[in-house]
Amino acid sequence: MAFEKTLKSPVTTNVLRPPGAVNELLFPSKCIRCGRCVEVCPYGSIRPLDIHAGIFTGTPLIHVTDIPCYLCMKCVEVCPTGTLRPITQQETKMGLAVINKHACITWNGELALCRTCYNICPFKETAIKLDELRPVVIDKYCTGCGLCVHGCQVTQENGKKAINVEPIYAYRRRAIANE
Amino acid sequence: MGLSRREFIKRTAALTAASYAGLSLPISNEDYSAHASDADSWHKGTCRLCGSGCRLELEVKNGKAVALRGIPQSRTNMGYLCMKGMLFYKLMGNNHPERLKKPLYRARKDQPFREISWDRALDIASKEFAKTVKKYGNNSVAYYGSGQAFTEETYIFQKVMRGGLKTNNVEGNPRLCMASAVGGYVTSFGADEPIGSYSNFERASCFFIIGSNTAEAHPVLFRRIMRRKMDNKDTVKVINADPRVSPTSRIADLHLQFAPGTDLALLNAMAYVILEDKLYNEDFLKNYADFRMGKKKKKVSLQKYMAFIKDYTPEKVARICGGNITADKIRKAALWFAKSEGTMSLWTMGINQRSRGVWANNLIHNLHILTGQLCRPGADSFSLTGQPNACGGVREGGGLCHILPAHRLVKKNKLRHQVERLWGIPEGRIPPKPGYHTMAMFEAVNEGKIKAIWINCTSPAQSLPNCDKYRKGMRREDVFIVVSDIFPTKTTELANLILPTAFIFEKTGVYGCTERRSQLTVKAVNAPGEAKPEVWMVREWALRLSKELNDPVIKKCVEPFMGKEPDYELPKAIWEEYTQKLTKGRDNDLSGATYEVLEKLPDGVQWPAPTKQWALKGGTDIKFVRGLDPLADKYAKNDLPYQFYGPAHPDRKLWIWLRPQKGPAEMPDSKYPFYLSTGRIIDHWHTSSMTGRIIELMRANPYAYVEVNPKDAERLGIKPGDMIEVVSRRGRNILPAKVYVGPCEGMVFVYWHDEDENRMINRVTKDAFDPGSKEPEFKICACRIKRVSGPRPLKPFLVHMKA
Repeated sequence: MAFEKTLKSPVTTNVLRPPGAVNELLFPSKCIRCGRCVEVCPYGSIRPLDIHAGIFTGTPLIHVTDIPCYLCMKCVEVCPTGTLRPITQQETKMGLAVINKHACITWNGELALCRTCYNICPFKETAIKLDELRPVVIDKYCTGCGLCVHGCQVTQENGKKAINVEPIYAYRRRAIANE
Repeated sequence: MGLSRREFIKRTAALTAASYAGLSLPISNEDYSAHASDADSWHKGTCRLCGSGCRLELEVKNGKAVALRGIPQSRTNMGYLCMKGMLFYKLMGNNHPERLKKPLYRARKDQPFREISWDRALDIASKEFAKTVKKYGNNSVAYYGSGQAFTEETYIFQKVMRGGLKTNNVEGNPRLCMASAVGGYVTSFGADEPIGSYSNFERASCFFIIGSNTAEAHPVLFRRIMRRKMDNKDTVKVINADPRVSPTSRIADLHLQFAPGTDLALLNAMAYVILEDKLYNEDFLKNYADFRMGKKKKKVSLQKYMAFIKDYTPEKVARICGGNITADKIRKAALWFAKSEGTMSLWTMGINQRSRGVWANNLIHNLHILTGQLCRPGADSFSLTGQPNACGGVREGGGLCHILPAHRLVKKNKLRHQVERLWGIPEGRIPPKPGYHTMAMFEAVNEGKIKAIWINCTSPAQSLPNCDKYRKGMRREDVFIVVSDIFPTKTTELANLILPTAFIFEKTGVYGCTERRSQLTVKAVNAPGEAKPEVWMVREWALRLSKELNDPVIKKCVEPFMGKEPDYELPKAIWEEYTQKLTKGRDNDLSGATYEVLEKLPDGVQWPAPTKQWALKGGTDIKFVRGLDPLADKYAKNDLPYQFYGPAHPDRKLWIWLRPQKGPAEMPDSKYPFYLSTGRIIDHWHTSSMTGRIIELMRANPYAYVEVNPKDAERLGIKPGDMIEVVSRRGRNILPAKVYVGPCEGMVFVYWHDEDENRMINRVTKDAFDPGSKEPEFKICACRIKRVSGPRPLKPFLVHMKA
């Protein structure tokens, strides 16, 4: 059992790899744990995993509920191994923001007008649009930076927000960018 | 499967401590979760975080405020609230640890504050004011109030200042936000405040939104506009005129993006099209309109007006306006405007905060008068207000230096003596000369002409344009500053005496929103510590002043309110005096709107409401229309359906003004090539001293940023998140950039809520003001921008009390 744990990827909802990351299956073998991406991140978004993370120890992660990624793209420039591939802001696909329409107070029929996620999205009107004042994510353009998650005013009991970044597209970024 | 309200509250409360990493806010959220179970009681009130006047209910459990929800029966918001409105219960009672709880005093401004008793605080305040009056005369003291104070508070403050201290130095921050709208309404229609109501949103078939980001500044009203548009996609047109593409523009059929400061030309060009294509309403013009020009209000003919407007052909104006404006777009806008069943114009600060704000207001009214788009269902020229009680308290309650309660002008002898008689004070007590207007008042503080000033419920140290200049004066040791507020602000930092006040729902009072609607909020929770309602402070202060100055008339001013308990009876007595004595017989007659009536209604009463029966029906929806407005019937002089009985126009006509194009006070030049404009973001309100202390709102927008057009950004090598220096002739800011197609090319836009010295944009803005309304031109000045570094980690900033 303990062996399985050391092989389980830490990437999950709202816990993401920095921009441009290679396939999660390759990540621990390609990343040399130099810590440059952690060092260069001006916001402190990227943090290295500690010793308890098995083979993932020392690899960089972004917890978007704490500090999201502001897409300054510095980490991809300094990565010496190409584990974080040198991509542009628009190409980034750390994950996909998914709105939980039952938790979102604008969607669930409460008499509330909240569109914080729309307001703070760096690609407002492209990655998030408003459908009669209710936010809708456009999956093709969402970079998964997590700003919306960080700003979301609803926190559910399980710690998730009403909008969460799922790492589902993280491995297939290039395929999508080529579309 | 909807999430219940209560669960939502629990969820917002369940933010973990870890999620604040990067935000050093001294608040814990644990307090709220424990109490989000069943309600003890719900209390009706009004939201205080914008001018919409949304009605809401506060849930109180075990004496603690635990939640807010909208009231669906309310005619303003229909139950909807924005996030500010849903969350501000977190500032009430003991919910927030940073609330000011005890009077604080320091003799010199370089000393730390010490806690003192109320007795001593009021003694100090009265002694300082009395000393100043004796030494430097009555005009050396001033009151600077707020469009967020209750009507009762503004009223009693100005009564004591005018009747008691014999000075008209009574001002308020509405001078910074809607003085131009007042000027516009009075000069064009003869009476202040809009003719129609929000109910026109559901009846209008063309919206002309100019200089207003309704979607962010009035989100709940915007929902109604959007609903109207979405339900009638083909028949309802929305025109948005703004140099910046805002969320409001998203629903627009036509977006007119003109260069800042060319709005007057644009509006005149629309009038040109209306005249040229004979789109005007001849009957309406003949019966109700007149043409005026110049300072002397000279009467002119239609021909003269046509000759004047000849200069504003759409082709020429399209060149002046720049941006995306073409002659065709102007023609289309004018055609929609004139031809629709009912056209509603909406504007806020984009029009008001101009060095020719009154003119811009006049020109919007012109279009409505020309086309007869007034008094009909859906047809209205409607100025939105930014603060919850700028209309009710300050415009109607006499909170500006040149007006007395109920739309009376200070300089009109008859009206001034009428007020003196109603107050029972000797004739000649109120000086005939208006006092200092806001900009002159703080200039006088700079020059040492004002030695003692009471600032209530507002933060001029952050909200004045070019604020560094005025903070210098406020730092002077010979200027005694009293600040009454609920949280530490940029202004309390400059105070000698800080008086902790009760927040909304911790005291009782009336707010009057944009559509002439007065709504009552009754006390529901106790104020924290020793915080007190302002009305009590003023009464006690006035009694002490009376003793100090040995002047029984000051006591006389508060005599009717003696011995009343301050939480309900005292504001009620003040409201009674104000409505029954002062507003009776005036155009904003509120004598039917007693506390009893206001408490019975889910929302409130729109004036004119001369009788209780009329008030119980909700008051007057549309002014000036016979059959709908009781005063229109009462003052009718002929058989026409509309009676424009406003006090400023004895000829009972609407005036069309000849106003030429006038650019901003400061134009971009080679040294400062960019236009700078400022505005609000949905989640923060004004100086963010309140919204900044609500964790959910602060997390979403922890700091201000500068919006740069992508083309400019590319030219200057600016990437998103880069730190940008914004410099003007007055000051500089360093903010993170947001590259966004909002502002037009050659223009940058900054949010003004941030309290951090580096991101406080009013250090950069210009303090030029409209010569008519004296409202400063916040919206336009020249600046230059420069990238100073890549992204830097930033911390949100709030002013804290130094222990």
